[in-house]
Amino acid sequence: MENVLSILFCLSLFYVAVTSRVKEYVTILRFQGIILTISSIIPIFYHFSFLGLILPTTLLLVKVYLIPRYINKVILDLDIKRYIETTIQQMVFMPIVILSMIIIFLVSSILAHNTELNVIPFASGFSAILVGIYIIMFRKKLIVHVCGFLILENGIFLFGTAVASELPMMIEIGILLDVFVVVFLMGIALNRIRSTFEGFEVSHLGRLKD
Amino acid sequence: MFGFFIFILLPLLIAGLCYFIKDLKIQYIISLIVATFHLCLSLFVFVGIYNPQLPTFFSIDSLSKFFIIILSNVYFWVVLVSFSFLKRSVIPKAEHGKKYYFTLLNFYLTANSAAMLSNHFGMYWVAAEATTLSVAPLIYYYRNEESLEAMWKYLFLVSVGIAFAFIGILFLTLSANGTVLEGKQLFYWEFINDAKQLNPIWLKASFIFIFVGLSTKIGIAPMHSGDVDATSNAPSPIAALMSGSLRLTSLIGVMRIFQIISFSSSFEFARLLIIIGAVLSLFVAFVFMFKVNNYKRMLAYSSVEHLGLITLGLGIGGLAFVGALYHAVYNSITKIILFLMAGNIHYHFKSREVDKVRNVLNFLPKTGWLFLLAYLAISGIPPFGIFFSEIKIFGGILFSDKPFLLVVVMFFLLFIFVNMGKIIFTMLYKKSENENRDSQIEQFELTHFIAIALFILLTVISVVSPDILYQNIVNITIDFGIKL
Repeated sequence: MENVLSILFCLSLFYVAVTSRVKEYVTILRFQGIILTISSIIPIFYHFSFLGLILPTTLLLVKVYLIPRYINKVILDLDIKRYIETTIQQMVFMPIVILSMIIIFLVSSILAHNTELNVIPFASGFSAILVGIYIIMFRKKLIVHVCGFLILENGIFLFGTAVASELPMMIEIGILLDVFVVVFLMGIALNRIRSTFEGFEVSHLGRLKD
Repeated sequence: MFGFFIFILLPLLIAGLCYFIKDLKIQYIISLIVATFHLCLSLFVFVGIYNPQLPTFFSIDSLSKFFIIILSNVYFWVVLVSFSFLKRSVIPKAEHGKKYYFTLLNFYLTANSAAMLSNHFGMYWVAAEATTLSVAPLIYYYRNEESLEAMWKYLFLVSVGIAFAFIGILFLTLSANGTVLEGKQLFYWEFINDAKQLNPIWLKASFIFIFVGLSTKIGIAPMHSGDVDATSNAPSPIAALMSGSLRLTSLIGVMRIFQIISFSSSFEFARLLIIIGAVLSLFVAFVFMFKVNNYKRMLAYSSVEHLGLITLGLGIGGLAFVGALYHAVYNSITKIILFLMAGNIHYHFKSREVDKVRNVLNFLPKTGWLFLLAYLAISGIPPFGIFFSEIKIFGGILFSDKPFLLVVVMFFLLFIFVNMGKIIFTMLYKKSENENRDSQIEQFELTHFIAIALFILLTVISVVSPDILYQNIVNITIDFGIKL
């Protein structure tokens, strides 16, 4: 089941690599949030406890509802153009993503010979981390950077599920809360950037240099 | 629970309370009371009078005792100066933001104390990220373009950096697979005790990610840019807080993983990486000191330099390790003075550009002299502390397996000293061509009192060298398995 979810997660990364609409990024974030929620529910089927339901509920609330809704609100409020602007061509971006993912999957399967790890969720999580970084590097719009950061965070979360030991629930919730506040602050900052610089692209942020 | 209440819960409660109190003076008074309690308790814990019982995920050892007293000290002086700083006029848009100042400051204290007292990597991560969240809005205090850009870059870069550190923490879990630690929680001491059993490949990967990720917050090159922008554009008390304590909060995370790795076969690898990062930081500070024309940026690069020196000392080990810990204390105190004086100059001349600041000794004699003294202190002139800690670091390097590094470090430090001096003496002495302002009598302000008090503290610590401080540092070296 975990493997199926991880593969779905990987497919969402391919979609991110080809889409050129900002709103699709938010849809993908929501989709990834659902996958992560389901993957956190699976252990409950084996050992049911009401306390165990807290994490999936928080995940659902933060990653599927609050964050995507907030980003959508920022996009609407700031009247951001629908299309992303890239620094490299879309047709170049896709092969880079595919190549990176192939390498990650190969390396992960080699590493799995020595260490006991769940290759597919591990490699999918790592691919998301890399795709998140690529988005931050190759996209111009700051709101897309925030989406890239969230994809990276989702990747880390999935990656965490591949690693056997689990973090205590209190810490997991703390992490989710931190991520939410980061996005919230970034939203406020974007609002200010729009009124101060009249734009939301990286090129507007070039005042601080040596 | 009393210790936990004072260190973490009380600042959190007061942060909430400050949000609802409109009067800045009341906010200031209660924040100052919290800061005083925090400082007193840290002192009691440090001296050994009180040993608090903390809940799961938190505990006190020599390292956390050492860092929490530095944090308390920096925080206390920063809060003390904050009200007089807030009274200074700013643009109307920024006036509105002042009401959140103490809320964020108290939240910062909660997060930072939690990070330093945590004994679990997960808890450390949550708390370290929370410190970023509390400081980022404070960087945007002046509500201008530069501060907005600095805040965005800091928030974004540090968040990505901390995310990397989290990957490192997950790798650490992987390194425990197949050992007695498998499936256990990420408590530092359990990992330190069984460090020899950890898988070296994952442990190395873990160290790389945690070190590189946290470097964005410590200001270690080449990940220093967000930190430099933030420190140079933040208001002076916040810049002092960042340079004096926030960087050390991240350093403690690196030290924890370094402590684990120092008991494993991957120690030499980690050591080399730390030394490379440190020397690169010194190199960056050396290069940028030639072209920097903003005096707060110059101080930010000075922080890169000194954190570089501290990490170098940690990497070299032995006597240099002891020197690095002393250096952390002295640097934090000196940086408060430097940033507060730079804040006075900024307020008077309304510019951070070196070219627009002239003849400070004439217009602001008290600030000017204290700024000059602080420059001498940060450059390692006796009797101020940095001289003694640098001597220890240099001695450590000389008798280590990499003595050639001493030449490189001395070369960088010499030019940093000369270039900083050039900038500071230009600001202090050079008269502007069409100078038409008469010299004024500068009022004795709270910032001057704080600077003098800190100079006395700095000199007393370095000359007296309290046994309790030395003993604590020795305990830390024992915890790291270093033989002196």
